[in-house]
Amino acid sequence: MSEYHEQRVPGGRILAMALGRNVGVLALAGCALAGCANLERSRDVGNPSVAGKTLALQVCSNCHGVDGNSVSPNFPRLAAQPQPYLVTQLKSFRGHDRRDPAGFEYMWGLSRKLTDAQIDDIATYFHDATPRPNPAGSGRNADVGKAVFEHGLPDQHVPACASCHGDHGQGHDQFPRLAGQHADYVRKQLFVFQRTDERPEGAVMKVVAHELAPAQITAVADYVQGLASR
Amino acid sequence: MSVGWTGSSLGGRARWLIACFALALLVASQAATAVPVFNRQTGQNCMACHVGGQFPELTAYGRLFKLTGYTLGSRTIPLSVMGVEGYTRTEHTAGADTSNFPKNGAAAFQGASVFVAGKVTDNVGLFAQVTYDNYAQQNDQGEWVGHTSADNMDLRYADRLIDARRDLIFGVTLNNNPSVQDVWNSTPAWAYPYVQSSFQVAPSTSGPLLAGGLAQQAAGAGAYVFWNRTLYAELSLYRTANGIWSFMSHGISNGDQTKLRGANPYWRVALSHEFGAHSVMAGAFGLDADVYPDNQDPTGPTSRYRDIGVDAQYQYILDPHAVSVAASYIHEKTSWAPSLVEAGSVSNASDTLSQARIKGSYVFDARYGASLAWFRTSGSTDQALYGGGVDENGEPLGPPVIGNLAGNPRTDGFVAEVFWLPLQWVRVGAQYWIYNHFNGASSNYDGFGRNSHDNNTLFLYVWGAY
Repeated sequence: MSEYHEQRVPGGRILAMALGRNVGVLALAGCALAGCANLERSRDVGNPSVAGKTLALQVCSNCHGVDGNSVSPNFPRLAAQPQPYLVTQLKSFRGHDRRDPAGFEYMWGLSRKLTDAQIDDIATYFHDATPRPNPAGSGRNADVGKAVFEHGLPDQHVPACASCHGDHGQGHDQFPRLAGQHADYVRKQLFVFQRTDERPEGAVMKVVAHELAPAQITAVADYVQGLASR
Repeated sequence: MSVGWTGSSLGGRARWLIACFALALLVASQAATAVPVFNRQTGQNCMACHVGGQFPELTAYGRLFKLTGYTLGSRTIPLSVMGVEGYTRTEHTAGADTSNFPKNGAAAFQGASVFVAGKVTDNVGLFAQVTYDNYAQQNDQGEWVGHTSADNMDLRYADRLIDARRDLIFGVTLNNNPSVQDVWNSTPAWAYPYVQSSFQVAPSTSGPLLAGGLAQQAAGAGAYVFWNRTLYAELSLYRTANGIWSFMSHGISNGDQTKLRGANPYWRVALSHEFGAHSVMAGAFGLDADVYPDNQDPTGPTSRYRDIGVDAQYQYILDPHAVSVAASYIHEKTSWAPSLVEAGSVSNASDTLSQARIKGSYVFDARYGASLAWFRTSGSTDQALYGGGVDENGEPLGPPVIGNLAGNPRTDGFVAEVFWLPLQWVRVGAQYWIYNHFNGASSNYDGFGRNSHDNNTLFLYVWGAY
């Protein structure tokens, strides 16, 4: 420090005071903080004392949006998803049962230490969020997408999406909301169901999606993204 | 590395020593990096925070992770290690002193780092890197001597006020490299290239002071805010990292350490926007620094550096595709200390120096990637500063290969790179540098007939971290 005090600029002295002399205090403060938690605004996914809503705001929102309306199609929209569905998904990530790439790359780690209570709270938070419209996908083959959603493809033994996911794609219980979901996410998940066993909790979809052609998957994914919010 | 902030007492040998010093600093700052401890802390794949897994380039999520003080996740053992093995081949070495091309055409381990990083409390986190360079310098017998030194460090306190109506991240940072705290990969500390050969022929200057000139030389404290994931603003003050802050410049000798007068401001503003799978940023940054002309004697009038930069970044990330473009332009004006002018260490009372860079890359499936970059350093001609000109016999004053006959900083060219990530912690790559200008000219830049293309360099590497 002696070398520093030889300098003649007032700003330097200020900095020395701010950084130099108080370093001991800072160090002590750091040690003290090491034992502290900021439960109201924590990003600690390993602390069972942190409320699920806090984690939703401080952690989940980074990708899924603070209101569950994610901007990037890389991450599914969670707003107004059925609470039981979200609980099942989080537990499935936590237990490594759901192992599609989007699941293990992003979600296994974050969910690994969540408690059941935190999962319930997170699911409730996003279930209660208001869904926002999502601009429709490419719009190509809109008729095909609408037909698959509303009536299915009887010739291919594909049931209507609406029969389980609701007339407006609003979802119910373990059937996720499709209305406003990112087309890219829906498309990728339909391929996961169709071609893999990486989502055992959604095994019923393997049968449903089995006969869908890629173009039909794209069409229905585009269609549900554009479904009006309600 | 611009020579302006090295000591004036070097006199006529300045250009030689400076070139060696520049090479040493280049070696010391080789591999900007990612930290697997963060991966263990969040449990997520590297690609969550790094674009296409291409560390250290940050995704929107990675930027938030850093701005919230590395505190997301759960505490874990805060240690990681990293190493780089490389093979370097300079295009044309025949007829030149081979000492200019150490380890040319040979594989060499280029150093290793240890990181102490991660969450400390709900509000405090850090990233601190210490690097061992096994080719730090050569002794009198020409043998290489290893050296351990401080590398990039960033300690933070951060908090976040977020609800449906607002999102405000705010914090303070204590670090040792202006822009190391930045979260966009267009500012100097984390800009491309992310790894580079230690044995590449180095130009007279690597750019403005802000582009690495204070790395591991200065200690700074600053405050920042990031509002609604849109507006970022920061103000930091830097001083010489000595005295109680010397741990941030550990391994840098007193004579090699740039000495700053007082507190020197670094500022940064950026506008960011995310839409669909895209994110864009436009920003500006700057540094005002007063540098003592003699590292050994930090007294008297200083040289004044005024650096202003603009930058932009674009990313498109939709698995399995990741596209990113980053660009920056920094303009520097330096008013030299009178003692440097009187000693003849510089020819002009003031000089300008600019650096422009743009890089684009594509990564598929976080596994296969390619990048193309263009760079240009340019500025005013200063014969004494860059060791240009000829003696009374018409012989160049500078040495072959690293000399600068024109006394001009112009160096520009391209870097093409392909890489493969067989594992998320390992990158194998091939990088090729093409110099269209080197030290002020495209041909005969050193006065001994060497052309810029002779310095074109192939670098093959394996870069691993755990």
